[in-house]
Amino acid sequence: MTIDEAQTTTAPVIDSLEETALVGPWKVVVMNDPVNLMSYVVLVLRKVFGFNEPRARKHMLEVHEDGRSVVWCGLREQAEHFAFTLHQWHLSAVLEQNETD
Amino acid sequence: MKRIEVKLSLAVVAPLLDVIKSVSKSLDNTIAAAVDFERVDADLRNEWRDELVAAQNGEVQRLLALFDSEFFASGVVNFDESNADAILRACAAVRLQLKGQFLSALADEALESGKVEMEAMPDDERRYFMCYLFLATVQELVIEHLEPSVS
Repeated sequence: MTIDEAQTTTAPVIDSLEETALVGPWKVVVMNDPVNLMSYVVLVLRKVFGFNEPRARKHMLEVHEDGRSVVWCGLREQAEHFAFTLHQWHLSAVLEQNETD
Repeated sequence: MKRIEVKLSLAVVAPLLDVIKSVSKSLDNTIAAAVDFERVDADLRNEWRDELVAAQNGEVQRLLALFDSEFFASGVVNFDESNADAILRACAAVRLQLKGQFLSALADEALESGKVEMEAMPDDERRYFMCYLFLATVQELVIEHLEPSVS
């Protein structure tokens, strides 16, 4: 890797650190809807989960393109809290048991 | 506190408000978003639903209250950090209800891409769609000006 390349490869490190949070017995999954604006979904994900802009945008695009995105994993009680909060923002969100844990 | 004032054309917006009010009324005691209560803990289900409905009703009332007698005198609505979240959520609720109950003939793909031919719509449907667009514009204004760090 050249010095120039090294200077442009810092963001994925931050991403991979954040991705490690996606483990736990319960998943919060945001489902696509044709109504809510992309900018609105990004805003909600940032407010509810404290995501930075790139991560919120990544999840929003996943929802838009794949129909769903796992946005959080962890204990049931907190997963319920997040799902409820997403419902308050009128996003379609479901709880799923994480069968890999 | 950040605040924006938006001057709207009364001639354009006033006719939409009656539609928005009637759509809002149709929301009473129902939740605009698709919530799969089968996946919610049975012990929490009723409380979950009641709290969502109560919050939604309160936020929709705040949206409608923007268009009071002062608005009809000046054409101006005010948004600030104290009402931004409620207005954003109310707009989302009413837009979801518009799509679900009054614009269901429009394909999801057309709505998502914005490729909707308004000229071909029946008058009623066009009015609902104008409301749908108007509320999206309100959301975009609030997100752009009151939530600059997350826009």
